[in-house]
Amino acid sequence: MAQDYTEYLAINVLNEQQIVSYRLLSRALKVHVNFAKQMLYEFHRKQNAKKPGSVHATYLLTGTRRPTPSQVNGSHSQEDCEDTVMQSSPMLPSRSFPQPDNETAEEEAPLIRSIMLVKQEHLDQAKATFETISSIHIYSLEANGLSDVQVLTECNRKVAADYASEDQLEAWKQYGTIQNPNVKRRKRGTAPPPPPAPIAKTADVKVKPAPPTAKPEQKVDSKPSSAKPTPEPEQTKKSAAKPAPAKRQNSDIFKSFAKSKTKPKGESQSSAEASPAPAEPEDQPMGGFSEDEADDNALMEAEKASDAPAGKSKKDRAAELEAMMDQEDEEMEDAATPVAEPEEPENAIDKVSPPKEEEPKETVKVENGRRRGRRRVMKKVTAKDEEGYLVTKEEAAWESFSEDEPPPKKARLPSAQTSSKPAAKKGGKTQGGNIMSFFGKK
Amino acid sequence: MAVDNTPSDGALLSAPSDTQHETLNRSPSQYNPLNTFDLPKGEHRLYQQQYADMYFARLAALKPAVEQVAADAWVDYEIAGETPRQVDRVLDVRQGDLCWVVGTCYMEMPLKPNVLDDIGKEHWIAAPPPRVKYVEDEGKEQMMLEDESGRLRLTGGVLGQVLLVTGAIIAVVGTENKDGDFEVIDVRVPDLPRQPQRWERDDGDAALNPKAPTPTRPQGGKVAIVSGLSISGDAGDTLTLDLLMEYLLGESTGPEDQASTAQISHLIIAGNSLSNASPIPSRSALLAASAKNRGHAKKYGYDSSAYNAAPTDRLDTFLANLLPSIPITLLPGEHDPTSTSLPQPPIHAAMFPHSRAYMPPPNQPPTPTNTWFSPTTNPSTFDLCGYRFLGTSGQPLDDIYRYVHGENRLEMMEAMLRWRLVAPTAPDTLWCYPFQDGDAFVMKECPHVFFVGNQPKFETGVVEGPRGEQVRMVAVPGFRETGEVVVVDLESLEVEVVKVEIFEGG
Repeated sequence: MAQDYTEYLAINVLNEQQIVSYRLLSRALKVHVNFAKQMLYEFHRKQNAKKPGSVHATYLLTGTRRPTPSQVNGSHSQEDCEDTVMQSSPMLPSRSFPQPDNETAEEEAPLIRSIMLVKQEHLDQAKATFETISSIHIYSLEANGLSDVQVLTECNRKVAADYASEDQLEAWKQYGTIQNPNVKRRKRGTAPPPPPAPIAKTADVKVKPAPPTAKPEQKVDSKPSSAKPTPEPEQTKKSAAKPAPAKRQNSDIFKSFAKSKTKPKGESQSSAEASPAPAEPEDQPMGGFSEDEADDNALMEAEKASDAPAGKSKKDRAAELEAMMDQEDEEMEDAATPVAEPEEPENAIDKVSPPKEEEPKETVKVENGRRRGRRRVMKKVTAKDEEGYLVTKEEAAWESFSEDEPPPKKARLPSAQTSSKPAAKKGGKTQGGNIMSFFGKK
Repeated sequence: MAVDNTPSDGALLSAPSDTQHETLNRSPSQYNPLNTFDLPKGEHRLYQQQYADMYFARLAALKPAVEQVAADAWVDYEIAGETPRQVDRVLDVRQGDLCWVVGTCYMEMPLKPNVLDDIGKEHWIAAPPPRVKYVEDEGKEQMMLEDESGRLRLTGGVLGQVLLVTGAIIAVVGTENKDGDFEVIDVRVPDLPRQPQRWERDDGDAALNPKAPTPTRPQGGKVAIVSGLSISGDAGDTLTLDLLMEYLLGESTGPEDQASTAQISHLIIAGNSLSNASPIPSRSALLAASAKNRGHAKKYGYDSSAYNAAPTDRLDTFLANLLPSIPITLLPGEHDPTSTSLPQPPIHAAMFPHSRAYMPPPNQPPTPTNTWFSPTTNPSTFDLCGYRFLGTSGQPLDDIYRYVHGENRLEMMEAMLRWRLVAPTAPDTLWCYPFQDGDAFVMKECPHVFFVGNQPKFETGVVEGPRGEQVRMVAVPGFRETGEVVVVDLESLEVEVVKVEIFEGG
């Protein structure tokens, strides 16, 4: 255990220049948060003993303090100088009995409990503002100082993204989160994915000409790589299936690169990952047909049967790779962030194939008074770029919708249907189908 | 970097040890929702009714209470050998008679928004910004008393001494002078309604269902109230939100503080969770948009190019992170994506793809046993550990604030309780649903805790009623501006403030 955390911190804080909070560390190593806080402290102490200033820390102070004058509670300040304050509000009518004017403030001057995040260089200053300090611990470690404390939010975003698959009710016990034995959670049975058959039909009926073969697509995507031979459907299937595991897996690959000291390469790759599809934007103003759309799109469908075999082989490979790695790398925290899918670098054709997938069209279907279908929306995605800045950009993503048919506004939407959109999005992590189903058809 | 360790904080600033860190269990909470402010569903929700019905219903509901108070107060009131007699309708007041009468207060103020101004606004180039206050100098406003029969203009020095707004039901005693105005000598309001005993409703339910085992009444724990999270799409400033989440989860801070956090058994989010989620396009913008779209098929649903889902996503994630550990009641606020007129319906479950699992199943009413995450109406009332809670996200109080001189919001909160009105100024200057039978904003029972969200600063106080009722009032400040969370002890109803902040040097 001891070695684990030293190694993890050395890699992430010193080598990769990441910010590691106690929360992230506890998730990564599956330890209690308080234990993780101690690990951060120990690492910070040792490293700075070796080389002063090599690791910067932020602290979290908890305690009680008097509010600074500017934040003094208004009612009290008024009481303090009752006579000089203008007789502001008129008295209330018909008070049952005269009440002392300070009835509103029978508590003594307020001591507020404060939870304060402070950079290490301000620690002593901050401590001085407290009356009592009940606890103090390291919140995060980072290699260089923090220019903006707000970048610490990145840690929790990472936690949310990387460990989203954990069942919070189970997994959080080990982290020391306060447990609630009374928690009531429903089984998630209410979000039926749209049945595959009608969707396929929709595609056939309504879709604007979206030929399944590669030819017209090549016309559409003018990427240089499109000159390559059309990949057989099998391969397309393979690459598009199971997008989420692939993503994790490829970040593992980065990790192995980073470890085996081809670090620049790993970095460049991850930067490629951060800024999606750099090659595309200029010729595709619509936001590019980077395969994240295909992914997102694929997520909507529940056509698992057709891609199951392909997905499996992929999974096996993923498992093997994962076995080689002993640590989680960070990955882009937003599922919608497109990934250049650089896994299997030896298979060039796979890399090419994603853009080949035919562009999904917006489909709309009218069915007993409701319009359903998929449409492309611009989503705001926030990510940290390679320089550590938080960047928000708009990206195209697909979502399903269902809304009242304009003329007969009658149907009140049952909530199950309303739910289909987000559920589909979530379910997306694990399934991928729509494109496959398309190819399978033809 | 040398850090001096004091004994209390040393535990977390030391090398990892083999000591077992314990995982705490949170205090249980007993949440029992009420549906006082639920609106009719579906096609039964109509907007054709006249608002006048609301005033009639309000007067009818509160008149007996005011008459009782006034009769008690003025039974041996004597002026120049005359005792006031009650007059039933304001039009029955005769000049020179000493009498008292009950009616609805109405304030005429030059700055008060007027529906005619709204129509005029469309012809202006730029509408003036909304007013901070409707009142200006003393004397410009006119106060009137009205009932179903007519109106009576009120005058008299005593009116300057009392806090009154449109919509309050009051009794006034005095005489009509030669100008036809009513010279007010004294004013009475309904005062606090009956306050239920603690656990009364739960006990009542238990009595109706004798087979159910007697519930255990756990130690109350505490409830945290926060408002104005103001989550926006920009990720740049959410660190305090993260810190709040970690605090409530009991992950940050040391073992002692974690133990005290474990006492917080419920979280109330009192409005404005999103910073600006439902901007209402002005009529001119709508016209312009429709002109642009002429020829195209009309677009329904949201405009996907203009819509940003990030705020709701973040709110959902925030809630989903907290829910495994703490039950949450969520009131919508002024900026939240739901109807803007009071009572605001709960934020729809579709906004919470992750948190939804903790809600009662669709199409089932919330009950104490199936509710963990409870998006409620605004205003909202519910029982928590036997205590009756009544809260709003701040709009009614903010609107009262515009009517009166002065800044003391606690006094205004107290006035709301004594008027027995959650939203007195609706429907005059506050948008609200046109209730047909009965005004939902009339308090039928006195709460134990009355909280109002999105206030400029934290304030608290206790109001006492004529029959020994005690109400804890809490003004909850916006979290984004202050970083403050109010924690109310559910046994003693004592209040404390927890402030989440970032030290910026200096």
